Amino acid sequence: MDFDFSEDQDQLRDAVRKWVEKAYTFERRRAVAADGGFSADAYRELAELGLTGLYIPEELGGLGMGPVEGMIVLEELGRGIVLEPLAQALIAGAVMSNHAPKALASTWAPLIASGEKMAVLAYQERASRYRLDSCNTTASRQGDHWSLTGNKSLVVAGDNADAWMVSASADGEIGLFWVEKQASGASTRGYGTIDGACAAELTLKGTPAQLISEDGMAALEHAVDVGIAATCAEAVGVMEKTLAITVDYMNARKQFGVVIGSFQALKHRVADMKMQLELARSMSYYASLKLGAPPAERRAAMARAKFQLGQSMRYIGQQAIQLHGGIGVTDEYIVSHYFKRLTQMEMVFGDSLHQLSEVSSRMQSSAGVFA
Amino acid sequence: MDLAFTPEEQSFREDIRAWVAANLPADISHKVLNALHLSRDDMQRWAKILGKKGWLGHGWPQEFGGPGWNSVQKHLFEEECALAGAPRVVPFGPVMVAPVIMAFGNAAQQARFLPGIGSGDVWWSQGYSEPGAGSDLASLKTRAERRGSSYIVNGQKTWTTLGQYGDWIFCLVRTSNDGKPQTGISFLLIDMQSPGVTVRPIRLLDGSVEVNEVFFDNVEVPAENLIGEENKGWTYAKHLLSHERTNIADVNRAKRELERLKRIAKAEGVYDDLRFRDEIARLEIDVVALEMMVLRVLAAEKSGKQSLDIAGLLKIRGSEIQQRYSELMMLAAGPYALPLIHEAMEAGWQGDAVGALHCAPLASTYLNMRKTTIYGGSNEVQRNIVAQVVLG
Repeated sequence: MDFDFSEDQDQLRDAVRKWVEKAYTFERRRAVAADGGFSADAYRELAELGLTGLYIPEELGGLGMGPVEGMIVLEELGRGIVLEPLAQALIAGAVMSNHAPKALASTWAPLIASGEKMAVLAYQERASRYRLDSCNTTASRQGDHWSLTGNKSLVVAGDNADAWMVSASADGEIGLFWVEKQASGASTRGYGTIDGACAAELTLKGTPAQLISEDGMAALEHAVDVGIAATCAEAVGVMEKTLAITVDYMNARKQFGVVIGSFQALKHRVADMKMQLELARSMSYYASLKLGAPPAERRAAMARAKFQLGQSMRYIGQQAIQLHGGIGVTDEYIVSHYFKRLTQMEMVFGDSLHQLSEVSSRMQSSAGVFA
Repeated sequence: MDLAFTPEEQSFREDIRAWVAANLPADISHKVLNALHLSRDDMQRWAKILGKKGWLGHGWPQEFGGPGWNSVQKHLFEEECALAGAPRVVPFGPVMVAPVIMAFGNAAQQARFLPGIGSGDVWWSQGYSEPGAGSDLASLKTRAERRGSSYIVNGQKTWTTLGQYGDWIFCLVRTSNDGKPQTGISFLLIDMQSPGVTVRPIRLLDGSVEVNEVFFDNVEVPAENLIGEENKGWTYAKHLLSHERTNIADVNRAKRELERLKRIAKAEGVYDDLRFRDEIARLEIDVVALEMMVLRVLAAEKSGKQSLDIAGLLKIRGSEIQQRYSELMMLAAGPYALPLIHEAMEAGWQGDAVGALHCAPLASTYLNMRKTTIYGGSNEVQRNIVAQVVLG
């Protein structure tokens, strides 16, 4: 039982932190958000750091690293509320390493690792809300060839992707499929999201696809769990920076002749924010450390973690605005952007109430981390 | 980073589990696991069993007879005891005064007092709070005037937990009014059989007599019962608080009680009510998160690489969780939490509890648990301290 980071892990954290501080300033981010919410240049810089290949084995051009490294990287990117969705590269890496057939992996994994190509998960549908097992997109088979028809929603950076990992239903069973951007019948409609990033609606009409995994639910659940752990980690970074910004403000802003940080009611608010941050950090560690567990245990752990993170994100985000007073709700000042990212992350991979329902329905008679 | 305990730690846990199973009397664990009344004899019986094994002072340094366990081993020991239904160790002797005697007492005091504490034979009480000195403990007024080879003590302590059973009491007393209040406080050990010591019970809202007032009327205390130097008592008392104490989170008991909550909810037919079930699920997540925080602190202590300044968070959260599970258990009993039948809270009673027997203690426990966010440094004071660290 050990929660220390190795020297290599500390160096990885340092490298990402430096890039965020020097190369991904708030001004750059604002410019990217104003220009569609995704920068190919920034994505390339992440690739140059090796990060797009974090979960891809070395023999396929990646770094062959694991959940703890992923957690560290996402925390650091969260501190800068980086718009480019590295979590999707982690998902793609996990899918390539664990579920994709060799032919598909040997072609695409190196391209994802190098950052030359980007693949994202396309599983949500308007009628399904957060459910993974409900799918109106259909997959039909002619011999060895598959084709997909349907509509996927809220695909992160979907119109910037070179390929999508799509869940579709074949004879009532859910499969996970690989669809390339130029495939016939595929079209996207991109739009901005409240956090400044972008997503897309994906339409498929008899679109040719490759099968990733017949056991689509296993692959999809794993992919989503990688996404949940990444989201939890990123949220810790976002919240840490949000609290730091707030603390700086409270130690600087003067009213009634004193800094507002001297008022006890506000001190207690800060203490409660710190509580939420540490609970969130603890559950983010839990999520990452459970990513390698057997599926049922892993699923249950992700639901618990995402619920806690949801509570913490909402509290810290809301209170950060509150403690800033009027400037907290302006666009010009930085804290509202952190709040919007926290708000967005609640609704990604299942919100708190959805996760509570998952936890509740899976509840065992025992309790605790080792339950 | 790794969540799993090492094979050595696992094997240590198994050894402890086996020992507890063999040595914890079943009549005692039955009472603990069902929240029934524990007598002085019950508590002392367990203390002596631990004492005989050398595990009552399980945090003591090896030079004083402690088993030399690291933070993880201490946690596992406490967990196995809690899960098996062992009574809480009364901390005042083994956990609170003993470390002060070891760190600041002289050889004669160590030889005189430590054996009785370690064996469980001598029951200690804590004399800190006063009617006018709660959160503001430094403002305490009980005074000790030096006369010849004695101190004459006059004043009053309050909230003295289980003081009615105490053989000895360690007190913070005022020996000077010069300078800041903290600099005039001394640490004095007092025999509760001394003439002039009166213990008066305080009845709590749940009907229990768990705390007391202790009056000192010209009590003569030999000067050799002073620990260390006069007017240094505040530093000695704070020494205790400087160690990370993960057991203030009480997470092991929380896990045990969460399972009991599920059993009670099932028996009362509310486990299948999705609204109630969700409340339990929320609490479960809270317990897991608290456990993860505790493990982080333990791991940091074990490796010594980084120290985590979050002890205050553990106390705040742990106490809130204690209140929540006691609340949910009472709510699970619903209307059958309301009858107040004292006999039904004693082990072995066979009558009609008006509702299931497991409902009988639930409201009393809920009422009693309102203390947890108040004692040990109120949660408001804890928040002040946390904020200080964050705001600088």
